[in-house]
Amino acid sequence: MTREREACCGSCDHFRNDPAYLEAVLNGLTGMGSGYAATRADDGLCLRHDRFTGPRGSCRDYRGDGRAEKRMR
Amino acid sequence: MSRTETNDGAAIPAAATSTRGWQELWLKEDWWAIWLGLGIVIVALLLFANGSSIRWIAVTPAKWSTVAQLGAHFAGNWERYVAQFVLWLAVFSLALGALGHKPREFVPAFVFLYLLSIVIIAIGQWDKANTYNLEPPLVALVVGLLLSNLIGLPRWLDAGFRVEFYIKLGIVLLGATLPFTLILWAGPVAIAQASIVSIVTFAVIYFVAVRLGLDRRLAATLGAGGAVCGVSASIAIAGAVGAKKEDAPIAITLVIGWAIVMIFVLPLMAQALHLSAGVGGAWIGTSEFADAAGIAAAQTYGDLAAHGAVAGNSDQALAAFTLMKVVGRDVWIGIWAFVLAFVATTRWERNELGRRAYAAEIWWRFPKFVLGFLVASLLITVVTSGYSLAAYNKAVNPALVAPIKDLRTWAFIFCFLSIGLTTRVRDLAHAGRKPFLAFTSGVAVNVVLGFVLSAVVFAAHWDNLAR
Repeated sequence: MTREREACCGSCDHFRNDPAYLEAVLNGLTGMGSGYAATRADDGLCLRHDRFTGPRGSCRDYRGDGRAEKRMR
Repeated sequence: MSRTETNDGAAIPAAATSTRGWQELWLKEDWWAIWLGLGIVIVALLLFANGSSIRWIAVTPAKWSTVAQLGAHFAGNWERYVAQFVLWLAVFSLALGALGHKPREFVPAFVFLYLLSIVIIAIGQWDKANTYNLEPPLVALVVGLLLSNLIGLPRWLDAGFRVEFYIKLGIVLLGATLPFTLILWAGPVAIAQASIVSIVTFAVIYFVAVRLGLDRRLAATLGAGGAVCGVSASIAIAGAVGAKKEDAPIAITLVIGWAIVMIFVLPLMAQALHLSAGVGGAWIGTSEFADAAGIAAAQTYGDLAAHGAVAGNSDQALAAFTLMKVVGRDVWIGIWAFVLAFVATTRWERNELGRRAYAAEIWWRFPKFVLGFLVASLLITVVTSGYSLAAYNKAVNPALVAPIKDLRTWAFIFCFLSIGLTTRVRDLAHAGRKPFLAFTSGVAVNVVLGFVLSAVVFAAHWDNLAR
């Protein structure tokens, strides 16, 4: 596996895509939707930029050493 | 996976999860809807082939006019209800457990949901129910909304109120009651009509939103929610275009608000305009925003047809809705996501988050439960193709199709109740005036265009559907 492939959102400490977490932080999601739906694919939230993104993105704020903020913002 | 705690105690994972490849088969609820739905269909087919039926366990409250009659029904059939409850509990526990839900939260929630569902279906079977407009989907929705918003239920009970899971299971079972030939015959028109409405609705919402000064990514998230498949589309497009964290909850609020309004308004308007069940179902399929809400509205309209309040039969409304919404709109979410991701990453924000569009998104985001719907239809169609109409009505329908339909009714009622039970108005994000105006513009155009296409341009097609 190359370094470029490792340093993507999917392995970044800032990235959260656990369906239960997404349902907890996105108000109303379970009302007529779901975090477990196929249509979401593996998308999640980047807590560094407060943006939705997929696991294949990357940026210079990548952090894979476990020091990223773990608390919900 | 190690976890940490948020400020409000919710667990958040320390690492990302992946459902790519084979893992998707047990980590996405779409696939569990397929496993459970096709499992029921296959068991029903096997028993039917051996001269038996799943009818015993597919019990529902019978028609009644006095409380004594209703009591006699439950006294004579309580073992069947217990067996059915255990069956649902077992298969749902298996599925939701695999998805990561805690049985200690799901089990009591489902006990509550099942008991409430018995009451709702029994109310619908009262011979005066139609006189008082006590259609089960509407009653379930209102009861759920009242319980969650006026009384309040513990949030952990939401583990059993899985709106999307139940509606997907119900749609897979619905496939078993629709001939595959009907899908092939009506599908192209549904796709054509739905495509026109989806593209126009998206364009209206998007351009009004941009004109009002909203960010293009929020505009796209709103547009997809109104044009494609509601909350699911909003989440999918939010990810595809890199929307801000607060964008999706805004779209969710607007989708849920308008979808609930339309559950009540569309059947009323369709009835007032004397639309047949097929035409009304097609209009609802064109103009509702979410599968769950749309099925509630379509089933309500089908119930009106069953009681003679509108022309046609109850199956026509559900069939037209499903063809329009599921086949015509839902399956294209991957293409919407791919196109919008391409636009977002090449024109809106080059390299901002290092993202790019992947053609594979079309499959990744495909609503897989639709495959179960199609396979269920194909299975039943192939098995029953050798029967004459008379033999079908005498042998196949009561032993095979009708019990599947009854189990489908349960899945839908679980869903309708869950919509109300999980929709807490005070928890929804504040949408703001501009997003509301943009989304509502799309709603207005969608409803009018949907009516013209369903009741004028393709009226004969939908009127004759499944006659």
